[in-house]
Amino acid sequence: MTDHTPRPDHSTTDGGSVAPPTAARGIPLVAVDHLAKSFGAHEVLKDISFTVEPGTVTCVIGPSGSGKTTLLRSLDALEIPDAGVVRVGDCTVDFGEIHPGPKRRLDRRTRELLATLRSKSGMVFQAHNLFAHRTVLQNLLEGPVVVQGEPVAQATERARRLLDEVGLSAHVDKYPFQLSGGQQQRVGIARALALRPQVVLFDEPTSALDPELVGEVLGVMKTLAAEGWTMVVVTHELRFARQVADQVLFIDEGLVVERGTPEQVIGDPQQARTKAFLRRIMEPI
Amino acid sequence: MKRVVLTAIAVLLAVLFTCALPSSAAPPAPAATTPPTSPAVPTGSAPAPAPTRAPGIPATLRVGTEGVYPPFSYHDEKTNKLTGFDIEYMDALAAKLGTKVEYVETPWDAMFAALETDRFDLVANQVTYNEERAALYDLSEPYIETTGVIVVRDGDDSIKSLADLKGKRAAENLTSNWAEVAKNAGATIVGVDAMALAIDNLRQGRVDVVVNDKLAIQNYLATRPDPGVKVVAETDDTSRSVFAARKGSGYMPSINKAINELQADGTTKRIYDKYFTPKAQAPSRWDLVRDNAWPMLRQLIKVTIPLTFISFAIGLVLALLVALGRMSPNPVLSNLARFYISVIRGTPLLVQLFIIFYGLPEFGVKIDPFPAAVIALSLNVAGYAAEVIRAAIQSLPKGQWEAAETIGMNRVTTLRRIIIPQAARTAVPPLSNTLISLLKDTSLTSVILVVDLLRQAQIAAAPSLQFFTMYLMAAVYYYLACLVLSFIQSRTEVRLNRFVAS
Ligand SMILES: Nc1ncnc2c1ncn2[C@@H]1O[C@H](COP(=O)(O)OP(=O)(O)O)[C@@H](O)[C@H]1O
Ligand SMILES: [Mg+2]
Repeated sequence: MTDHTPRPDHSTTDGGSVAPPTAARGIPLVAVDHLAKSFGAHEVLKDISFTVEPGTVTCVIGPSGSGKTTLLRSLDALEIPDAGVVRVGDCTVDFGEIHPGPKRRLDRRTRELLATLRSKSGMVFQAHNLFAHRTVLQNLLEGPVVVQGEPVAQATERARRLLDEVGLSAHVDKYPFQLSGGQQQRVGIARALALRPQVVLFDEPTSALDPELVGEVLGVMKTLAAEGWTMVVVTHELRFARQVADQVLFIDEGLVVERGTPEQVIGDPQQARTKAFLRRIMEPI
Repeated sequence: MKRVVLTAIAVLLAVLFTCALPSSAAPPAPAATTPPTSPAVPTGSAPAPAPTRAPGIPATLRVGTEGVYPPFSYHDEKTNKLTGFDIEYMDALAAKLGTKVEYVETPWDAMFAALETDRFDLVANQVTYNEERAALYDLSEPYIETTGVIVVRDGDDSIKSLADLKGKRAAENLTSNWAEVAKNAGATIVGVDAMALAIDNLRQGRVDVVVNDKLAIQNYLATRPDPGVKVVAETDDTSRSVFAARKGSGYMPSINKAINELQADGTTKRIYDKYFTPKAQAPSRWDLVRDNAWPMLRQLIKVTIPLTFISFAIGLVLALLVALGRMSPNPVLSNLARFYISVIRGTPLLVQLFIIFYGLPEFGVKIDPFPAAVIALSLNVAGYAAEVIRAAIQSLPKGQWEAAETIGMNRVTTLRRIIIPQAARTAVPPLSNTLISLLKDTSLTSVILVVDLLRQAQIAAAPSLQFFTMYLMAAVYYYLACLVLSFIQSRTEVRLNRFVAS
């Protein structure tokens, strides 16, 4: 077996740069078209379509169990939708044509295609999922060095800059268990960036954190947004969405109920379901 | 912790040294019994040296023998060389036959299985002639004849002849002729591995009687200062010792001719007198301990430890494959793995060893003792460790697999770099148990002719029949080796725990 991820030509890339990849404005960087996914009889995603412009931040909000995580995982091919098309950059996958066999086995060509799609995005998990037996720096090198074959020295140089950027220069040689929750999540972000993805996916990156640690993570995300990273963020942090998001999607029962700017969706929701959801969030008691 | 261990070692050593003290000074040698039955009377033929190989005899004759059955086949206390009546006789026979001998030491209970599976060509180990054996094997003419004797505890007057054995308990080697004799006389048979153990059981009152070869018993009584048992009678029938080969070997005409020549030229008599004149004194336990300290340590280092580590390493790799098979979504694979685990865990290791060593040759697969032991032990380890590894892998959060997947790692790399190093932490304590059990389980491999630490202890114990002392010494060696393993285990655990909060 081989790693299917295409290996970038490192000789021509700027090894030290931690800036987001540039993409032509005007053409959406991410396009999701009629995505559907069921678990057994449970239709989790019914019909989801949206686009994401390069260099913008999309916040996805919605009630628990509405399919936000499933949607995000579909973009990274951690979940195989039943139908619909996902395009990230120049990689298009029509899931309608992909039928995992009874033993959940995919043929080689499909596995390679999904690996290519996966290489376009970086994922930040709710539970950070850092490699517990690797130091902070090693967590960042695993992808570039082991999977993509980037020279260690160059990858290390870049990883250190990334860690500097998320404010963890002092912790490069620590193991994850030695860090606070907020620091761990910042490592998770840096690890996602280390592979130079075109789009960064965040699945409720602050939900598992103690309230006083939320700010440091959102702060880092704000900086990334300002630098021009394209981000899709599932979150319940409405203040963050209002300040940072370029577009907000409200998802419920597997459908995009409302889509627009934060001012439209959060500030002036049109749909009854959106209003009810926002009320529940802002006035929990 | 350290202190407890040191105390334990000190206590063990103290026990050993106490046992090692000479049991008593200058014991009186028991009066020599009447000269044993004369060896088979040959029809005299002219003794002719055999400058060339006798017809039908291979250039190298592989001979199976126990090596722990004094005075017939055992290791000399001083030189550790294989010797005894049967050995010297066999050497003389081979000289007559113009062939070379290569001895293969085999426990008695495995002797005929090993003969049949071509581990050797001939058995020289006081094989007693009987009809069943004659039907199954090529048997030579007798090279020595003896009678059986009935042995009872000092002070027991209830048994005076074979007729009194009815309802009594007799300790016998199960596959020996004497077990048959005692059984036919109405005794209940208690199986033991060696004649010395039969006598121990008798002395300790666990059985009432032992029927065994007169020469062997005489030799035993002669070397014990205070045996606590006595010979009360001889059996009527004589037992004739013969060489056994596979049916159709074609050896017997030449062997019989040589037996007759050895009789005629006095060689038989000379060897006979050498071994069946009662010895003056048994060696002290201390001598035994001192003389065998190094040979036993050598077998520990040369055989037991390599066997343990090689089998463990191969076993772990197999275990990982079995564990992966068990977790596979493919039902054929997972059921196969499940079946494998249940078979390995549901059958005795001793039987597994036997099947690989003595069973596979039936299908044309013949494996040498050491590799056969490695195969059996690795397969065994795989069965036990697979479940440990599976549990360890499954105890890791699914997020670890997913995080690796999102950075583009394939499953094999993920397993190697992400999953196994973390699973190792949970798996090390139970796997260390497996390793320590394995070290001790290697002692079972002596049944498939591996000369390991335990077998070396048996060899050392045989001439003087001091099994207790030598087994205790083996126990100390095993214990020390296990201590080292435990130490390695705790070091490994510390290393693997570096990435978790203590
Ligand atoms: N692997 C799965 N198997 C079965 N049901 C699942 C699976 N993953 C998610 N679900 C179900 O799909 C629904 C949507 O889940 P999720 O996408 O996690 O929602 P959200 O992130 O919006 O809370 C939930 O009802 C959940 O139970
Ligand atoms: Mg979720």
